[in-house]
Amino acid sequence: MDQQKRIRVLVAKPGLDGHERGAHVVAYGLRDEGFEVIYTGLRQMPDHIATAAVQEDVDVVGLSILSGAHLTLTRKVIEKLREKGAADVMVLVGGVIPEEDVPKLKKMGVTEVFNAGTPVKKIAEFVRSHLT
Amino acid sequence: MTNKLEAIAGAKDEWSDKVLSPKLSKLEIAESPTRFYSPLDLPDFDFMESVGFPGQYPFTAGNDPVPTWQARARQMAVAGYRYEWGASGSGKYGGFATPEDYRDYLLRMHDIGRKGGPNIAFDLPTQCGYDSDSPWAEGEVGRVGVALDTLRDFEVIYEAYTGLLDIDKVPSNFTINAPAAIIIAMYVALAEKRGIPLEKLRGTPQNDILKEFVSRGAYILPPEPSMRLFRDTLVFCTEHLPNFNITSIGGYHMREAGATREQDLAFSMANGAAYLQSGVDAQLPVDSFAHRFTFNAFGGSMEIYKEVAFQRAARRMWATMLKDRFGAKNPRSMMIRQIATAHVGCTSTTLQRPLNNLIRAVVGGLAGAMSGGVPLAFPPYDEPLGLGHSLEAQQLAHDATRILIYEAKVCEVVDPWSGSYFMESLTNEIEEAARQELEKIDKMGGAVAAIGNGYMHQAIAKSAYERQKRLESKQEFQVGVNCFDGPHELELSTSRTVPDVYDSELLNTAEERQKAALERVKRERPEKEVARTLLELRRQARDGGANLLPCILDCVKCYATLQEICDVLREVFGEAKPATG
Repeated sequence: MDQQKRIRVLVAKPGLDGHERGAHVVAYGLRDEGFEVIYTGLRQMPDHIATAAVQEDVDVVGLSILSGAHLTLTRKVIEKLREKGAADVMVLVGGVIPEEDVPKLKKMGVTEVFNAGTPVKKIAEFVRSHLT
Repeated sequence: MTNKLEAIAGAKDEWSDKVLSPKLSKLEIAESPTRFYSPLDLPDFDFMESVGFPGQYPFTAGNDPVPTWQARARQMAVAGYRYEWGASGSGKYGGFATPEDYRDYLLRMHDIGRKGGPNIAFDLPTQCGYDSDSPWAEGEVGRVGVALDTLRDFEVIYEAYTGLLDIDKVPSNFTINAPAAIIIAMYVALAEKRGIPLEKLRGTPQNDILKEFVSRGAYILPPEPSMRLFRDTLVFCTEHLPNFNITSIGGYHMREAGATREQDLAFSMANGAAYLQSGVDAQLPVDSFAHRFTFNAFGGSMEIYKEVAFQRAARRMWATMLKDRFGAKNPRSMMIRQIATAHVGCTSTTLQRPLNNLIRAVVGGLAGAMSGGVPLAFPPYDEPLGLGHSLEAQQLAHDATRILIYEAKVCEVVDPWSGSYFMESLTNEIEEAARQELEKIDKMGGAVAAIGNGYMHQAIAKSAYERQKRLESKQEFQVGVNCFDGPHELELSTSRTVPDVYDSELLNTAEERQKAALERVKRERPEKEVARTLLELRRQARDGGANLLPCILDCVKCYATLQEICDVLREVFGEAKPATG
């Protein structure tokens, strides 16, 4: 019934990290904010994530990483997105990300980094203001 | 007695009318935000049945009439002995980069007087059954723990433990679940090489696979074959490693993942019951192994009254279950043995104003002391800042514990809340709520069924979101996060003046170095033996009655890799699938 297409978000857990609380909270929260949310579940290879992003035609990929492997895994996901012609998909990173790594992630093409404890509303507002 | 209660009830009505109500009217609120407990809240209290003396069934008042560490506290302070509070003989939980890097770190710790046994954190590839050269391992090698591919790596780590610190003298702790059987086999292989009798080995593997499916995510095989491996470790340890613990059951991880207090308690009890049943099904008397079950500091939140009650309720529930359901006779089988009791949990810490976490941890330490444990000020305040607690934060945490013990003297009374109208009521309430949840799981067919159908996993995810909603709608508060923050925030940076314990340069080069080491091992090992033992493992795995531990031991002794062993098991049993709900 919406006039506007609803924003589609893929919440993804790359690699082997099993901390799922943040991904669950963000997935539920963005759904309540009116987004279409697809959650990959744990243990996704960067290639799987990029494929899912293309197949599901999402506007945003939210990567949740708390294992310290955020630099390697994010770089790979972005590379795979570009290979599949989905360079325009907004990539967000959430988790425990040391401050000094935030500029490195942004340089790779990450639009924003949301550390653990960020209100879901703030993420929703950010996405809306950048996509609409 | 009844007359006395009636008199109190009368007095309460009068108090409510004449004292409480006028105050509420004056404050213009309908309901009081506080409660007062009286004998009316605990009319049928039976001390011997509900509490009992510390060290006796049902252990509500604690496992121990006099905790050993408390008895030695004075001597330790006089001698300046730097006890690793809450680690029961093993040292600080840690691990990073390659086995060589971790070994050198352990030696540095020994040099500053921290000589506990290894308390090993393994990296994610190891926890999930992949070698360092697997595509799955990219970026993860040596990050959240030390990388481990073969027995060689285990041997390198233990170069830090010889002589006075040999493995017949210090215990080891392994935070490992899905591949626990392989790590236990490596420990046995190391002991055999060093000529140390297996009965001298002490230690604890986490070996709590069920909670991995609902909270921690480091699983390999589906739940049922995972329980086969658990049974094999239980039987092997019972027969060969009498001083080695079988499991360390962790409600703590479920709480961290978002479980409510009642879910944490019920799910832990359900998982524990499934583990106990697997020993019983293997025809072992429950008293031959239940005393080697431990718990991993379960619980964890800032609500300290409730956390104290939670610990008391948990001890009573476990003891009752062991006695009534499993027919245990030995009191030791009925105890929840754990390194710490109540604490705040890592999810209570905040990235905002990180020093506040020290204050939070002290609150947890106080709860620990009031619930039959060490006043452990855990975690160190820099927990949310990234991997590895700085030495400075660790010292602050240790000192907080010491101050609580030596200056505040919070441990001079065992179960200080015993008999309190309030605490006994709260203990009953929490136990009752958990019991109802446990019954629900039992009706589904127990823990394995409630994991297989996704019930536990979804319940925890929902609870996590509910809590977040309460925070965002300001029904609950976190200081510096959703209140008392804003425009007047000071610009602070936390100075960590002591160098980082984990060298970032080593972390960044760990993957390449570990892959090279693995390649060397593969070149030099007896390849035919590796193939033969892996084939035998495949054969034995298909026989549900066989114990796989001896077979896995043969594999590790000829330096088969962790992933090679896991791949055989994956081939036979299939892989666990992640839940997306």
